[in-house]
Order: sequence, then C-alpha cells, then structure tokens
Amino acid sequence: MGVLALIGTRKGLFVLRAADGRDRWQIEGPLLDTWGVYHAVVDERDGTWYAAANHTTYGPTVQRSSDGGQRWRRSRQIGLREESGLVLNATWHIEPGLPEDPETLYLGGDPGVLFRSHDRGESWQVNRAILDHPTRADVWIPGAGGLCCHSIQIDPRDPGRIYVGITSAGTFRSDDAGETWVPRNKNIVADFRPDPYAEVGQCPHKLLLHCTQPDRLWQQNHCGVYRSDDRADSWLRLDGNGLPSPFGWALMLDPDDPDTAFVIPARSMEYHYGPGGRLAVYRTTDAGATWESVSNGLPDQSWTVVLREASAFDDESVYFGTQSGSFFVLADGDTWLEAARHLPTILSVEVTSWSA
Amino acid sequence: MVRIVVPSVLASEAEGKQSFDVEAETLGDALRALPVADLLFNERGELRHHVNVYVDGEDHRERGGLVSPLEDAHEVRIVAMVSGG
Repeated sequence: MGVLALIGTRKGLFVLRAADGRDRWQIEGPLLDTWGVYHAVVDERDGTWYAAANHTTYGPTVQRSSDGGQRWRRSRQIGLREESGLVLNATWHIEPGLPEDPETLYLGGDPGVLFRSHDRGESWQVNRAILDHPTRADVWIPGAGGLCCHSIQIDPRDPGRIYVGITSAGTFRSDDAGETWVPRNKNIVADFRPDPYAEVGQCPHKLLLHCTQPDRLWQQNHCGVYRSDDRADSWLRLDGNGLPSPFGWALMLDPDDPDTAFVIPARSMEYHYGPGGRLAVYRTTDAGATWESVSNGLPDQSWTVVLREASAFDDESVYFGTQSGSFFVLADGDTWLEAARHLPTILSVEVTSWSA
Repeated sequence: MVRIVVPSVLASEAEGKQSFDVEAETLGDALRALPVADLLFNERGELRHHVNVYVDGEDHRERGGLVSPLEDAHEVRIVAMVSGG
C-alpha cells in the first residue's frame, strides 16, 4: 500500500504520493493557495480532507474537501462568543472522532480553545469547560506560540476520555466527553515559572497516545520528553541518556511498538535549531530509557527545526517536514530520504494509506 | 445598488466571482451581505485589521466607517493591506 502525505505550509497545502516503496514521490499543489495550513488530515471514516487554515488577512477557519482536494468548503460557524472576551486567533489541529461517532470532529485553536462539530465540520461548538476553565484567567499566559490547543487525543476504548495539550497551560484530561477537565501535569517541570511544578502552566509541545496501549501517553514538552503509563495521572521524564537537548516539538510513535518513539531535539527555547547546527532524529526502543541518533541521510549542517505538527507516522515509516521546506521519510536501512525540498515553511505533516 | 469588487483570494472563496451587486443602505450592511462576510469580519462583527475598504476610491475610515450610508456610491473595493517583506 502506498502513502499519501498532506503537507501544510505557510503558502498552502501540498500533496505528496508514493507507492509502497516510498522511494519516489509525486508532488501536487499548492492547494488552498495563500492559506497557512497549520494542520491537515484525511478523515479515514469517510475520506474527507480537513485543513486548519489561517490567512494573514482573512483570519482562521476550517476548510474541507470531499473530492481529494479539488474543491473546498469552509466552515461557516466558527468563533467564540462575545461574552468570553476572546476572539479566535488561529485554528491549529483537527482530530476526527472515533468510528462510532461518524459525524464528530474536534478542533483545537488559539487562545487555548477546543471545538466539537457534530455535522462533519460545517459548524463548530466551543467547549465551555475549557473556555471557562478556572485556571485560565490567572495561569494561562501565552508564550511566543500563543495559547494553542495543538493536541487532541481520544482513548480508542472510550470516546468520553479525551486529552488535550495546550501551550503555556498544560495537559488536561476529560473522562466525561468534555464536560469537565482536570489538569494532568504531575512531575512535569515548567522552569520558566515561579513554581516549576505547579498544577497548571506547563507547556506541552506535542502529546500523543499510543493506539494499542491507550493508557500510555508521550509528550515532547518545552521542558523535556515525558511518558505516562497511567492515563496522564503522572509523568516520567525521559530526556538525558542520549538526547542532546530536552527541547523540541516533533514527536512520532510506532503503532506496532509502544516502547518506540522518535523526537527531533532543538537546542533550546532561545536557539531554534538542532544542537550543533545539525538536524538529527533520536529514537528510543526501550520506552525512553535510552536514545540513539537515527540521522543517516540528513544534512550535516542545517539551521532549521521541525515544528509541532510537522511530523507523522504510520505502520511502515515515520515522516517529517522542516521549516526550510524539506520533507523526509525514513526509508529502508534507517536512512532518511529527502522526498521534497524547496517547499514553503512546513507547518504540518499527516499521512494516510493510498493506492494508485 | 453598489458593486463590490473583491480580491482574488476572496473570489476563490466565492466560486470565482470577483464582483457582487448589492442593495444596502450602509457600507457595513453591504459587506455583511457578501458570501465571504465571515472572512471580512471576526466573530464580534469587527472588520479584520488587515482588510482595507474603499468606496469610490476613498478609504472607508475617512467617510464614516462601516455605518456610513452608501447613497450614490458606485463601487466598493476590498483590498488586503500590504504587509510582510
């Protein structure tokens, strides 16, 4: 089975396709030209494409296509109620619901907001419990990336159990389909705050649940790499032991192995490029106890980074795109293949199976 | 009746249509009647910051803003603010 990659960039959406070998890629695009595509995904339940699209002049929206990207329709009802005192700054991440909820999708946005659609993306209702969370007013302080709700993970065993990751706010879990949310940041450091182990105020950069072991979650945080084996009730810090930096955004998993994960470290919050000016991927196969570089095929010197939505994985491989417009796929023999270059700044990568 | 001319990005969001003939008393009413109104205004009904609107060549801010009557105006032109490097 081949693979289709949706690559969101600052200047639209690019579509890359490859046959089973993943060694030759065809590029189409840009679709949604001039829109910044923060995230795009294929809803595997019905094949609809969704894009969190943001325009510098015309604002944030969600675009969707039911014909493989040829025609797009934008959501008409999306935004925050005036009494909130907030306006929607950006749409960040679209998460299709579980197969048993075929009409339902979730949308994360800035300023730290979550929406749910019950009509396949035509209209979106804001989650009031996140919007009115009692910790928002005093503790949620936007950083350089704003307050973006970038990660939405649903327990495949229970559609009522949902996790969200919000920058400068933390990880939150709901066990009642979003009626209430509890912070789940125990043991996660926020060294940029007066109390580095406060209940709220951490800065997850990417949060992922393992599909076959859903009690296990991973996160690349502003301050380290973490794993939880108890539904985010507590977290174990995993950086060190081979990782050159605790800082980064990208996170990839192996659907077949809950102990395997990939990260792409950046030097620090001040220096947004890899340690030593090198683009390097690190992999653990022992649940984070040790890390090794998997960087054959990547440039020796590269002053770029991989952003929080710009990496993906499937049963066959892992993929990422850089701020400098290169798209890489891990080919046979643990060597990276540069499948595309000179694209606009890559904001997001998602993959799905595809056949010619 | 006033003709509203939109830039290419908005036209592509309106099935390729580049101009609209609208009957409205005020500029705001005319803009809100467009099928791309949601791209011009935020959820508070405020015109987005980087959207410029000219009425017969005059910046709408200089002629009373969105509440200004269109009266004998012929053309409203929407222009994205020049920005970036």
